[in-house]
Amino acid sequence: MSCVRVEGMWRRPTGGSLKPTVSESSVSPTHPDHVLEALDVSKRYQRGDQAVEAVRGVTLRVRAGERLAVVGPSGCGKSTLLHLCGAMDRPSEGIVRFNGRDLHSLGDDGLTRLRRQHVGFVFQSFNLLPTLTVAQNIGLPLLLGDHAERSATAAVEVMAERVGLSSRLDHFPQQLSGGEAQRAAIARAVIHEPVVLIADEPTGNLDSENGVRVLELLVALNRDSKTSIVLATHDEYVAARMGRVVHMRDGQIVNP
Amino acid sequence: MSLFRWFIVRHVRRERLRSAVTVGGVAIGIAVVVAIRLANEASVRGFETALQAVSGQVSLEVTSPGVGVAEDRLAELAWLRTFGRVSPIIDSDVLIRPSDTNLRGELVRLLGVDILRDRPFREYQLVDDDAGRGRNAGPMTTQEFLSLLTAPDAIVLTRAFADRHGLTVGSDVELLVGDREVPLVVHALLGDDGPAQVLDGNFALMDIAAAQLALGRLGAVDRVDIQLGDGQVIDRAEREISDRLPQGLSVQRPDRRGAQVETMLAAFHFNLTALSYIALLVGLFLVYNAVTVSVISRRAEIGMLRTLGTSRSTVLWLFLGEALSLALVGCVIGAPLGGVLARAAVRMTASTVSTFWVAAAATVPDVGVGEVGLSFAIGVPLALAAAFLPAYEAARLTPLAAIRGEPDLLVYDRFPRRYVWSALVLFGVAGLCALQPPVSGLPLYGLAAALAVVGGAALLVPVALSVLQRIPRSVDRRFGVEVMLARANLGAAIRRLAISVSALVVSLAMMVAIAIMIGSFRETVVYWVGQTLQADLFISGARRSPVGDRGGISVDVERAVVEYSGVTAVDGFRSINVPYGESTIIVGSGRFEVLLAHGNLLFKSPPDGRRAMAAAVGQPAVVVSESFSLRYDAQVGDRIELPTPGGPKGFNVAAVYFDYSSDRGLVVMDEAVFARHYDARRPSGLSVYLHEDIDPRVAREEILASVGSTGRVFVNTNAALRRQVLEVFDSTFAITYALEAIAIFVSMFGVASTLLTLALERRRDMAMLRLVGAERRHLRRMVMVEAGLLGFVSLGMGLVVGLALSLILIFVINVQSFGWTIQFHLPIMFLVQSSLAILAATILAGLYPARLAGGLTMADLREE
Repeated sequence: MSCVRVEGMWRRPTGGSLKPTVSESSVSPTHPDHVLEALDVSKRYQRGDQAVEAVRGVTLRVRAGERLAVVGPSGCGKSTLLHLCGAMDRPSEGIVRFNGRDLHSLGDDGLTRLRRQHVGFVFQSFNLLPTLTVAQNIGLPLLLGDHAERSATAAVEVMAERVGLSSRLDHFPQQLSGGEAQRAAIARAVIHEPVVLIADEPTGNLDSENGVRVLELLVALNRDSKTSIVLATHDEYVAARMGRVVHMRDGQIVNP
Repeated sequence: MSLFRWFIVRHVRRERLRSAVTVGGVAIGIAVVVAIRLANEASVRGFETALQAVSGQVSLEVTSPGVGVAEDRLAELAWLRTFGRVSPIIDSDVLIRPSDTNLRGELVRLLGVDILRDRPFREYQLVDDDAGRGRNAGPMTTQEFLSLLTAPDAIVLTRAFADRHGLTVGSDVELLVGDREVPLVVHALLGDDGPAQVLDGNFALMDIAAAQLALGRLGAVDRVDIQLGDGQVIDRAEREISDRLPQGLSVQRPDRRGAQVETMLAAFHFNLTALSYIALLVGLFLVYNAVTVSVISRRAEIGMLRTLGTSRSTVLWLFLGEALSLALVGCVIGAPLGGVLARAAVRMTASTVSTFWVAAAATVPDVGVGEVGLSFAIGVPLALAAAFLPAYEAARLTPLAAIRGEPDLLVYDRFPRRYVWSALVLFGVAGLCALQPPVSGLPLYGLAAALAVVGGAALLVPVALSVLQRIPRSVDRRFGVEVMLARANLGAAIRRLAISVSALVVSLAMMVAIAIMIGSFRETVVYWVGQTLQADLFISGARRSPVGDRGGISVDVERAVVEYSGVTAVDGFRSINVPYGESTIIVGSGRFEVLLAHGNLLFKSPPDGRRAMAAAVGQPAVVVSESFSLRYDAQVGDRIELPTPGGPKGFNVAAVYFDYSSDRGLVVMDEAVFARHYDARRPSGLSVYLHEDIDPRVAREEILASVGSTGRVFVNTNAALRRQVLEVFDSTFAITYALEAIAIFVSMFGVASTLLTLALERRRDMAMLRLVGAERRHLRRMVMVEAGLLGFVSLGMGLVVGLALSLILIFVINVQSFGWTIQFHLPIMFLVQSSLAILAATILAGLYPARLAGGLTMADLREE
């Protein structure tokens, strides 16, 4: 196979399946349709002398390939719920299951591996690593997962082409526009073909044109790869592009 | 002031670890400077204190260069009494030990006085023995004192010395003089007043006649002390006495000897002081680091302050205030810490000073107002200077830029060319400075050259760090994602890293330079010793060092040696201290014919030094050491004038030879010439040449057995003496290594503190890494790789810069300070071992930051 060296990664002209191979089989769903289940979860924080309950008794189920929007005003607990669903945080009460496996049983490293293999994240503020090039940022989940650099480079190239950043791979995040930075963040979030993509206000920092472009990209990825999307937003237009919408207020899911 | 309290003091308190590291660095830097100052002061003051105590009420002293005043000339000096009281003195360093031991003896300052004349000069307070120990026996009449001393075997010791050795009045002791043991009896003990307080109580008093007898100095006194009478003005009296003194005698004030000692030690002290400032320099790098970090991590706050109307000058003073407060605390801790370190420094320097220059008990002066003042006087302005740049940057920030947090550290593709040019200019300046002569005997331009090299190297550090960015990516592929992340992180923090890496580079460069210099010096000495120490056996009397050399090898011992069947030739060496210019040189004598036939002096000039030396036999000509030649600009063919008891005499410089035994300058003449101009004293040592088929070890035993009943001598084989020379050499440079170790230790703190800061400031990035799947081990390794890369760059630069500095040290500073030519030698094994150790230590410095980074959990990072 012929390879070209670009931005420190060996690219393969054609893409290849990068389905995670590690411990995938050990995560067996209890319900084949539900890849993610948050059952009666609560999350409390201590702020000085005061306990703040950001999420209160929320139950949420996400099916494979589903696009779910969590909508609500600022401070309603959307982001906290997404953190719990994305294995970034542990609930104070309740259970979070991922592909049927209770996350409570996993240690810190176990949760890290789960995120690396099965979850992707997109944030409002992009959160690209400023010291790495776009190519390095996109390929990071694969490199951290000990994937061979050649295959990782090829995957990066394919993904960059898909999000329209092929010509920007050698750039640093500061050299990108907001829309480009968010597309790079999306590429990084899905390069390992996660089961669930967690997106917290992904269009919040973008102008309307770039917002639409990013949204369409997310929808297309969901359609093509069957990756479930859990997206927090307070933008009704964005919510309308998701398949299902839940509303939150004061840490709870409410009827609209 | 409130703003300072809220904005700076709280921040300094909150950042405890970083503040503590910075304060610690400044404190250690200040402490080292204070310690070396105290140690230097101690070595001179120890001598001066002894001098003052022993001088007592002496106004002037009459001496004869090197050999003392012959008794038969004392009658000619009766007129001295018209100026005041006069007291002839024997003053010598001797070894004393209790009779019932076989110890080598302890060095004691022995004063032989005519007590009837001497009492007005010095205070001798006797104490009771046993029954009344500790209680003053009260004033004793001169007559009573005289009766104590008149016995020829009477000696008075101090209570401190007696207590140390379990001696009482009536105890037998032995005075070790040359190869003789002189039995004496303790007749009284002195309290802690007057001369008895010198040298930790290592003082003894004898009657002048008994002292002359014991020391083999019959017919001469060392000097005549004068206490001017009422109405005499010291300047006029000194002038009048000088005019009337016969040739060969001179009058001087006792404190001039102190000044001579200071001159002798000037270069040694100057170099130690310069070295001590490196530790301070490294400490100040930490101040720069702390304030830079403070400014960078608080850009948003600075922006907010500026938005709310805080002026640029206020921002500038806020951050200068931070540096000031850290420096003040560092100085407060550093000054007393210097007192503690000084004791260690004195222990390490005292033996060197006693070995090479002057016998003195170096007691550490307390940290006084002067030292505290010095700490603040150097610490505070330097800290403010170190902090100025980052504080100025803070003041220049616009409110908008600060609040937006515009990137300030990303220098991906900007190769700092101007740094390269500036560094080249500095290297050029260094080259020019290295060619300049010394200033007043001090290598000021040499040090300026070293500083220019260090400055140039510091400018090249960002360049070296940016080279990390250019390492082929294949390296990443080989070593994994952590290397990629580490390189990216370092590349983004070059500006900040440059400072702490510079500090480490400077310390390492100095270590390398000093290691090369000492290694070269050692190799040169080994070669010199191998070439010049040709005799098979070396015989010396009971003496501990060349300083205060008294007592020689007796005729009987020399006869016994000469008559030993295996001996082919014997050379005898004498030496005396002679005032020359503003300092003191050593005038020695040897048997030139024996040296030419058997020895092997290494001549610097003329090319055929042996022939020149042969021509000097019996002539008023001398061979001089290289240090004498350089210090006093004396070349072959020049005529130098030496003071002798018969007045100043001229000598031709026949040859210049390499010598590393003393930097004071040696002038050596043939034995017969020495006897003609000075005296025919016994040699202080013998070099013995044996037949080829004689085993030196066997000869040593047999000679010792043959002289056993005649005298007490130390006989060293050639190998044993060489070993001793190198032992003295190594102990001499222990302080140098110690100072360097401290500087490296402090700079390691700098690297650890920088890595820690970077780790803390990258919490957001680390949170992202954890989010996308980086495990704790990834973060730990990443920080460790960063530490290793920093160590690698620092070490690489340290080695190169150290090599350049070593050339300046060896060929400029050393030659100008001590007058020694050193052959360049690379101590490869030492450098390899220390490089590995330093690399390991740098990686260790990354352990804590790595642990901290690895210990971050998602819960910790949620806020990010």
